[in-house]
Amino acid sequence: MNESVIVFTLITIIGVVSIFPLTGLTGLFSFGQAAYMAVGAYIAGILAVFYQMPLIVCGLAGVLGCGVLSMIVGYPTLKLRRDFFALMSLFLGEAIKAVLNASGNITGGAQGLSSIPKWVGLPGVIVGTIVVVALVAFMKYSRFGRMCLAIKTDELAAKSFGISVFATKMKVYVFTSMIAGFAGVLYAFYIQYIDPNMFGWTTSSSWVIFLFFGGTVSLTGSVLSAAILTMLPEMLRFASELRTVIYCVIIIAVLNFRPQGLLGDKEISDLFKWIKSKLAKPKKLPDKAA
Amino acid sequence: MGVSFIIQQLINGISKGAVYALIAVGFALIFSVLKFSNFAHGGLISISAFIGYFFAKTLGMGLFLSTLFAAIAGGIIGILLDTIGFYNLRKRKSPRIFYFVSSITCGILFMNILTILFGTTYYSMPNFFENPVIKLGTVRIVTLDAVILGVCIVLLVVLMIVIRRTKLGLAIRTVAIDDTTASLMGINSNTVVRITFFIAGGLAGVAGVFLASNYTIDPFLGNMVVKGFIASVIGGLGSLPGAIIGAFLLSIVEVALTIITGDVIAPAIIFVLTLGFLLIRPNGIAGKFIQEKA
Repeated sequence: MNESVIVFTLITIIGVVSIFPLTGLTGLFSFGQAAYMAVGAYIAGILAVFYQMPLIVCGLAGVLGCGVLSMIVGYPTLKLRRDFFALMSLFLGEAIKAVLNASGNITGGAQGLSSIPKWVGLPGVIVGTIVVVALVAFMKYSRFGRMCLAIKTDELAAKSFGISVFATKMKVYVFTSMIAGFAGVLYAFYIQYIDPNMFGWTTSSSWVIFLFFGGTVSLTGSVLSAAILTMLPEMLRFASELRTVIYCVIIIAVLNFRPQGLLGDKEISDLFKWIKSKLAKPKKLPDKAA
Repeated sequence: MGVSFIIQQLINGISKGAVYALIAVGFALIFSVLKFSNFAHGGLISISAFIGYFFAKTLGMGLFLSTLFAAIAGGIIGILLDTIGFYNLRKRKSPRIFYFVSSITCGILFMNILTILFGTTYYSMPNFFENPVIKLGTVRIVTLDAVILGVCIVLLVVLMIVIRRTKLGLAIRTVAIDDTTASLMGINSNTVVRITFFIAGGLAGVAGVFLASNYTIDPFLGNMVVKGFIASVIGGLGSLPGAIIGAFLLSIVEVALTIITGDVIAPAIIFVLTLGFLLIRPNGIAGKFIQEKA
């Protein structure tokens, strides 16, 4: 297995993890998450190629640019039914692609933006992935993550407990978009070449599919399924269409017969707890009669 | 830019809008009954476009016959879609999220099966008419556009009558309001959902053939469904008249934008316009607010 497969897998993991708080915890569907990846990649790439900015400035600008864009998109749509948001996120992908194709003198149009400096290697991507996964894991168990879960389960009930639904959704959306932007920055500086077609809605929806395969509320499951479903076909060398068909059939089977996903809501920490409970001496049960 | 040019473009736009309306109505129908956005609608369009192509090119049928067969095939595939994608979910009363994922997966599945079968090359429909252009004074109307417009309007009118005036339509509307109550009233809600999928699939079939004869056929023709989505967002999700109005509005704006700003950037401008529209009128043209079920 060569290095680029590993990097591509890691970046997909970041992408799937970027959807996790939004879809897995809050129950919002975004089919435009790859568009944020594109925005992050292009902002960083353009700053590096045309303005010779240092890595840190490019990266920050890419990530923050995604944050600003997600605020603009989120403000009108997050107040409405979730379907509006899902549909608009789909159009967002189309719109970003149109802008990238139309402004050819800056972005290179359909030919793509090339000769981006190679500032990120395998170690950088690994560190980035670990940081993102840790951040999201922390978020899941924080008070904020619990609020998101409450909104997903029952919006009305969440509201009556004093959770500001719109503000929470907005925060999650901005947070996840920035993670996707970060994935884009890593991608741009590793692959050194980006073109608009890499970030279509098929990429976004395959991330959603990976998430559901692994289990919607299991971060471990999402990371695992992203890794397995990206690496396996690379190793088996399937044609990409056949690969997609196999994914889809698997997902439909999972939805029909095991709708909670492969791992359901189990996390890796649950495994440790389980092992611990096995190793620990069995406690004596308290006497019921007493 | 003369008057005749503007009239020509307007007719072109309205005829496009009629096809968008078919897509949007099929989508809105499923939305109003099952309360989820059916992303597999694009897949249905692609498949039935290929079926229409088979009838038109290989069997040499005319536009009407091949559209009819494609519509029937689309309807059957719609029922099939329901069976593989949604039947189990309905039986288990799964949350709406799963319908969502299931529909998008089925959509991608359909398009990729077509890619494996036919590749990503483009196929084009044969010419259906002896005179491709009708001349009315200085205005030149493309015959295909005129026929498409006529057929779409007839279909939409028939559909509205079915939904508003017949017993079947009443059943569909009842299930749309509440399927449990509907089944208590003696309506077999499962059958009604199946029929809804058949109608939606049929509409997708007609739209598929029309899109195919206006553009070229490839497995990703179904991505044109995005236009239908925008139309129904503008119109108010789940509202059929709203979807129709939204579709015509969208197509006219699109034609105007193509003339003013060019083809490439148009989707971005439409996206911004739609965002602005939602900011001003969040419930769409129809103004009916569908509450999220708690």
